Amino acid sequence: MGAAETSTEQQLKTEIERLHERVQELESELVDVQARANAAVADWQERAYWLDRLHIDLNALMRRPGANQLRLALKAVRAAYWQLKLIKRRLLRQQ
Amino acid sequence: MSVSAVVPVKDGERYLEELLDALAREGVDETLVIDSGSRDRSREIARSTGATLLEIAPEEFAHGRIRNLGAERVSGELICFLTQDATPCPGWLAAYREALTLDERVGAAYGPHLPRPDTSPMIARELTEFFAGFTPDGGPVVQRRGDPSFLSNVNACYARACWEEIRFRDVAYSEDQAFGADMLDAGWTKVYHPGAAVLHAHDYGTVEFMRRYFDEYRGLRESTGHLEPFGVRSSIGHVRASVAADRRWMSDQGINRAQRARWTARAAVHHGGRRVFSALGSRADRMPAPARRKLSLERRGGAPGTSEAPPGSESPNGRATSSPDLGQATHLPQIPPSEHVNQLLERDDYEVVARIWREGPTPLLDPVPGMAKRERLRLALVIPPFTRGSGGHNTLFQIFSRLERRGHACSVWLADYQGSARDVWPAVLRHDINEFFARFDGPVYKGFDAWQGADVAIATGWQTVHATLGLDHCRARAYIVNDHEPEFYAASTEHVLAEDTYRHGMHCIAASPWLRDLLIERYGASADAFQLGVDGDTYRPLPVERRSDTVIYYARHATPRRAVPIGLMALAELHRRLPQVRIVLFGTDKPLHAAFPYEHLGVLSTAQLARLYSEATAGLCISLTNFSLMPKEMLACGLPCVELAGVSAESIFGEDGPLDLAPLDPHAIADALERLIVDRERSEHRSRDGIEFVATHTWDHATDEVEAGLRHALRSRESKAATI
Repeated sequence: MGAAETSTEQQLKTEIERLHERVQELESELVDVQARANAAVADWQERAYWLDRLHIDLNALMRRPGANQLRLALKAVRAAYWQLKLIKRRLLRQQ
Repeated sequence: MSVSAVVPVKDGERYLEELLDALAREGVDETLVIDSGSRDRSREIARSTGATLLEIAPEEFAHGRIRNLGAERVSGELICFLTQDATPCPGWLAAYREALTLDERVGAAYGPHLPRPDTSPMIARELTEFFAGFTPDGGPVVQRRGDPSFLSNVNACYARACWEEIRFRDVAYSEDQAFGADMLDAGWTKVYHPGAAVLHAHDYGTVEFMRRYFDEYRGLRESTGHLEPFGVRSSIGHVRASVAADRRWMSDQGINRAQRARWTARAAVHHGGRRVFSALGSRADRMPAPARRKLSLERRGGAPGTSEAPPGSESPNGRATSSPDLGQATHLPQIPPSEHVNQLLERDDYEVVARIWREGPTPLLDPVPGMAKRERLRLALVIPPFTRGSGGHNTLFQIFSRLERRGHACSVWLADYQGSARDVWPAVLRHDINEFFARFDGPVYKGFDAWQGADVAIATGWQTVHATLGLDHCRARAYIVNDHEPEFYAASTEHVLAEDTYRHGMHCIAASPWLRDLLIERYGASADAFQLGVDGDTYRPLPVERRSDTVIYYARHATPRRAVPIGLMALAELHRRLPQVRIVLFGTDKPLHAAFPYEHLGVLSTAQLARLYSEATAGLCISLTNFSLMPKEMLACGLPCVELAGVSAESIFGEDGPLDLAPLDPHAIADALERLIVDRERSEHRSRDGIEFVATHTWDHATDEVEAGLRHALRSRESKAATI
């Protein structure tokens, strides 16, 4: 009887210890996740510094009428420029 | 419930048929059109649609009077009032029926005025934004005493019982506003229902608009005493802001660029004219009658209290004049006209404090066994706004930066009660922290919308404590106390709130043993202490020759606890005794008025301070509250210095440490300075002792102490839980 009780107590103790260890593991994981989230936000803030300094909200800016068209036009101009540059290089190579 | 509609009309043929058709469609039981001398087809239209027509002479018209008459002539339990240009939208009557059931004491309801397609963008935006402001969630809102009294007979519905009890006042304008205020005072409620919408046109020309504003504000002055404020700069600002808002609105509505440009010019004229004419209207009583008549759309020239609507005068929407009964109380003292002030703040500055007082701190998470010993913690530092040179913030970030480097997951949160940093965006805050104070690699947030919880949320100044107490998902809260801040204020709200911060059971980590003892003894707080560190790389004896004739004084006059008047008296006394001594003041932008000649250095950088401390003979720095970092930095550079005795310095340096202590007495302070200048041996001894003493006061050591304090806060939570 006494031996059975001791065995149950021992099992309980082991289980509690196991749970404590598991909690510590989870807590540690939580800190890791928080640290990674912090780093991601901080990295974004580092890159957004000048936008924030100039009070520019790019999402709001691009929602304005004509903004996307302007972006596409610039993209097209840039593509044309690179195309011309490529053609020029090829022509020079052929000579 | 049976429903009657009353529509006062004068020359309203443009929308009247559409309006009466809509009333029929909505299922109104009875419609009464009150015509006050139309010269167009209004009467004919009214008859053809089956409405009851009541004709009155133009001179009998008055807004309150005519609506009382209408209500008397109809029999519905609900009485709807519409103006001749307000067309009910589908669902209008159903919305009113619902509104009248939302509360036992609903006496009236009103709905939004939607712009017609041809309504100018300025008016369309104002209408939309104005009515949206009544309902944050887009649903019906019951308004009680203390809520806005706004009510508009352009589109309103009244319970007969309420109208019978209150009745409209016989006033020239704003009879609906007066009714709204009166009914709320009498204990009735009213409902704003967004579904009870009407299309409502305001299609006057620019000049007509201005004259209409003149009449409206004149009427408001006469009926409520409202005096519209006017200032050139504020008006320019207002017009600019309004035009910008119009442009944004037009842009959102997809109005093309050419139209936007055209309306921008109109908007500037509209808003500018409105400011001028509304201010003129509310001051009409000071103008000669002919001028009043010229400016009035309704050609009213009479003084307040006279009823003189000229027969046949133009009155859009059936609006004409009447006058309030001013009574015979001229012997009574007159109350000056009140000035209406718009809501300027979105919320009260100290709303967060009131919430904590009302609801108490947000409960902490259950403690986790062993959390105080865990190697890495999630730490959230809550800071008040800062500027370059903020001493308290420098202390915080010297420590927090080191905690971050020790592996803790650190974040910074700005609590800005009063919006002093409203124009600074988070990435800029983060950059400034790195530039002004110390390296910090973590994120910086403004406000707590993105709050993620923490092992320890750390308040850092009285302005941050109540916000920190409201944060959820925290295992513990701690409070880094740099100074006894109630002493920064005279008897005031700030003084009371600063004292309150020590009484919420947060574990304090005080910036000196003196401050720790004060918090424990006076407020019963649990507290640890840490010693301010010194940046040994910057503050050290530099290779410059030390002068034998120079006293330097940190004369920061803008900080009352620095007791600058006493310091200046001490230096004046020193000058009397040793006129050859060179006195140098620093730490303040502008030279101070003093009873002795001195050299002014202004505000210096840390490197310049180190140079100054390395070549001066003696330093003076006074603090009436907690000991500051500056005397330590002077000592670190080998500069003997004088501080106040009997406050906090003894708790750090002891009674006979490397610092010369003097009571708050100009003569005693001058004595101490004189000893350091005249007694070379004493001065050199102090210099050596100071360097040696401060060598152990590093920021790493301060970080150890603060970290121990944070773990203490967590441990207290664990032990409390274990006790329970």
